[in-house]
Amino acid sequence: MLKGDAAMTPLLFIKLLRDLRTIWDRIVLMILALSITLLMFSGVLYTWGITGREMPRAYLSTNPASATILLERRLNADEMAAIAAEVSKQPGIIDATSRTQFTFQVQQEGGGWGPNPLQIFVAAPDDPMRIESFTVEQGSWPPAPGEILIDRSSFDLLNLEVGEVVVVQAPNGATVPLRISGVVYIPSLAPSFQQQQGHGFISAASLPLLGEPVALDALKIQVADQPGLTVPSRNRAVITAAALDLAGWLQQTYGVTILEIQVPTPYAHPHQAQADSLLLGLLAFGLAGLLLSAILVATLLNGLFTQQIPQIGMMKAIGARSGRIMQLYLLMTLVIAVASTALAIVPGIFISRVFAPIILTLLGVDAESLTAPWWMYVVVVASGIGVPLLFSLASLVKTSRTTVREALDYRGVDRRGDISTRFDAGLGRLRGLDRTVLMAFRNIFRRRARLLLSVGLLASAGAVFIAGMSTQAGFQASLDRDKELRRWDVDVRLANIDEVSADAMTNLVADLPGVARVEAWSSVQTSVIPPGQQISVTRTYPDQGHGSIAVTVVPPDSSLVDPPPLLEGRWLISNETGAVVLTEGLPDIRSGDTIQLSLGGRPTNWLVVGIAESVGHGGGIFITQDGFEQATGVSQPNLLRIVTDDHDEETRTAVAQAAERTLSDAGIVVRSAASVSRSAAAGASHMLPLILVFLGLSITISVVGFAGLASTMSTNVLERTREFGVMSAIGAPASTVRRLVVLEGIFIAVVSCVIAAIPALLLTAIMNDYLPMPGLFQISIPAVVIWVVVVVLGAALATLAPASQASRLTVREALAYL
Amino acid sequence: MNAYRSLQEETMLQHRQQRSKTIIDLHQIVKTYETPSGPFTALQDINLRIQAGAFVAVVGKSGSGKTTLLNLLAGIDRPTSGAVTVAGTQLHSLSESQLAEWRGRTIGLVFQFFQLLPTLTVAENVMLPMDFAEIIPAAERRSKALELLERVGIRDQAGKLPAALSGGEQQRAAIARALANDPPILMADEPTGNLDEATRMSVLELFAKLNADGRTVIVVTHERDISRYTDRQVTLVDGRVADDAQR
Repeated sequence: MLKGDAAMTPLLFIKLLRDLRTIWDRIVLMILALSITLLMFSGVLYTWGITGREMPRAYLSTNPASATILLERRLNADEMAAIAAEVSKQPGIIDATSRTQFTFQVQQEGGGWGPNPLQIFVAAPDDPMRIESFTVEQGSWPPAPGEILIDRSSFDLLNLEVGEVVVVQAPNGATVPLRISGVVYIPSLAPSFQQQQGHGFISAASLPLLGEPVALDALKIQVADQPGLTVPSRNRAVITAAALDLAGWLQQTYGVTILEIQVPTPYAHPHQAQADSLLLGLLAFGLAGLLLSAILVATLLNGLFTQQIPQIGMMKAIGARSGRIMQLYLLMTLVIAVASTALAIVPGIFISRVFAPIILTLLGVDAESLTAPWWMYVVVVASGIGVPLLFSLASLVKTSRTTVREALDYRGVDRRGDISTRFDAGLGRLRGLDRTVLMAFRNIFRRRARLLLSVGLLASAGAVFIAGMSTQAGFQASLDRDKELRRWDVDVRLANIDEVSADAMTNLVADLPGVARVEAWSSVQTSVIPPGQQISVTRTYPDQGHGSIAVTVVPPDSSLVDPPPLLEGRWLISNETGAVVLTEGLPDIRSGDTIQLSLGGRPTNWLVVGIAESVGHGGGIFITQDGFEQATGVSQPNLLRIVTDDHDEETRTAVAQAAERTLSDAGIVVRSAASVSRSAAAGASHMLPLILVFLGLSITISVVGFAGLASTMSTNVLERTREFGVMSAIGAPASTVRRLVVLEGIFIAVVSCVIAAIPALLLTAIMNDYLPMPGLFQISIPAVVIWVVVVVLGAALATLAPASQASRLTVREALAYL
Repeated sequence: MNAYRSLQEETMLQHRQQRSKTIIDLHQIVKTYETPSGPFTALQDINLRIQAGAFVAVVGKSGSGKTTLLNLLAGIDRPTSGAVTVAGTQLHSLSESQLAEWRGRTIGLVFQFFQLLPTLTVAENVMLPMDFAEIIPAAERRSKALELLERVGIRDQAGKLPAALSGGEQQRAAIARALANDPPILMADEPTGNLDEATRMSVLELFAKLNADGRTVIVVTHERDISRYTDRQVTLVDGRVADDAQR
């Protein structure tokens, strides 16, 4: 601690209070700016803490299966229950149960099948629901035969109500009504509005109504790290090994054929990657806020201390030691820091309590508690008080050590090196340049450290804004490119059929009004079988969507597909067999490699001839029709792709419904018939939380940036009070002084725009790499234009008050200024 | 209060007794500044002794080194070479903080632009050096400040902020502040440079009165009539002592 003879004196305390009162407008601005950044930081930190805790908690509350062993054929429910009971006794297996699932079309109001399907999970009526469970919010489990429990996030999407009947198309094509007997909350599934697919639960007792036997085909298991343990393993390798061993045992003991083993990432919600990206964005958000807060504090307090240099010199001249001076300004910093922290705490909590539920709702998760971990409050208070102190320390020490001589010589101008002198001389030689403009431009370099801080603050805001908007634009461009490459309008998915030829089907649809062209394709789920294994192990989640891979069979001479941009190798040659083109989402496989794909439960070998960018062709792997036929013996398509005369949504929907009716009338079972816009809607929903985060970030930083600039310019004006007095004394009108100050602000804004270019490029590239949805790297020109306009206008507005303050100074006031 | 007065009287007596002693001794002083256009010598080979109780005017044209000399005497600046001894203290041996403390107890400084702290009242400005030096008991500081303001003729302005005072009043307040800790030496840099004719005279008379009380007064000035009040006039030309006239 400081010695007694250097303690703060009552008069210094009075001076502090009066100084604060004298510059109350700047102090308020400083406190507000600091509060906003701290508010942003604390809000994000709390949200990060809440979502980071609640998402895994909600997911794990459903007791997700470690693995699903999918059988090739469904077995009687009792038989499956017996197998599950035996499986539970196997070493390392904690628990087991059996399930199955279907995805049905849903009849919409007024007839016709709706665009969004309903995925129905089926469990035996006596299933204890210890694995992959859900919370029944209304009604009870098991629902009676003919009844269904609907996931609460599906009601709006499918336009359903409890007590109503949902009509689905059974696997045999029959129309089956199911009464909605209750509501369930299933936090282990992605929300329906994101997937554009509803979810429901029925008891196996309802299967006969759907024309299906009471049979199940999925064995759900929970695997422990070691026999005897009751906590599911977090190690995917352990789970995979246990599931493979179990599959071998099942084949040997029960003679069943294993179609696939699905091992999703343990302890990870299907949207964990999306959430991780979101949390990464939030973390960057928080860190950026903290950094900006630090920059802002350094800028503003440095200005404040610098302004006090003449007074410091005088106090030293009459006997004040550095320690006393330091205490005075330390206390001033502390007052600002404590006030800012106090102001930010409650709104920060409020923001997190609004923001966290929004994020969690977008991820389909309910929060059990909206209280952030206690240590985060400590971090916020410590940051709120500590960061301003820490970042102002250097400036504090430097200022308090100012000698009397330095203080008396102080004129608010940095010493200039030869480089700037030559630069200034060069500027001076420019003909026709307004002298006020010239002065304003030179003035911004007078306090270079402060210029860097102001520019840094605005440049950070600009970089985040441009990167956020560019990422959104990149994602939109990716959707547009997909749309451009995808030349069809309607997808009609069919049940596996043998009776009707592909030509007959396409002819049926081609004759419909509004249809321009039809092609018969196939799309089947697959998985890559590791070398040396016979059973494929996928990362597929129970919804059969997340983590799965599809093979798209491209018909010969298709006019509906443009080869996607290739990263290496080549595109498929019509009629070639044994060749595949993969998309970039499949790691560690290169062009020229041989891979094993599971098709229809059988391993098949393929040569990778090309790696393409991920675009909207509906699948991760492309093969030819001939290749598919040779590998599987299946020649019938299961997907019709229709080009409509007009490409508006109305025509697409009408054609989809007409195709569905026509094919159904011909005895062909249609799984779904929908406009291609549905997949785009699903993709856009995935991006929504991220876009929200980055737009929020840029808006907040911009506000802080302008507050910082206003305060900096106010400090600059105060520092140069005498200079303005001199200008006024030699005849400068108030308007010239005002213009000079505003121009300085605008020049700072323009410099910040130039400086923001590189970080904006880097940040956009990073965001493109880390986001879960594909996006094209591009810089949004509208974003750049908007930012330049906003920052220049904002800078002009932010400097208006200081400019007006400078222009109102009288010569006497200015020259007597200390 | 009485105890303080007797202490003050005793100090003044000591000052009178020491009148024949050297209170300021400059030996071979050189002060050079580094400037972008190369080194600039502001003071060259200055040797100067000032007796206690003297009233010395340092005169010369702008740039002759007057203010530099005063800054060296007040410990505001340090010489490039040579030794400065003031009131028995060799200033080069003190750190910046020690210099500040020494200055607070030994020197009273008055500047051309008064340099009062704008957010403290006139009385508080006078009390501030007392707070720093802690020579005068805290309970007596206010009355001492008012007494000093009375002495310089602005007692009635004590509660006002400096901005509310005229230039002459501000300079009187600055002089009162300089006297706060009853320093043996009063130094002033162009104290009348920012004042009108009538006020100038009254300020100079105030300095003369303070000198008559036994204080050593050193005034850097352009004032032509200063010789009426001083007993020694040191003239600087281009950083050298060109004339040293005693009365």
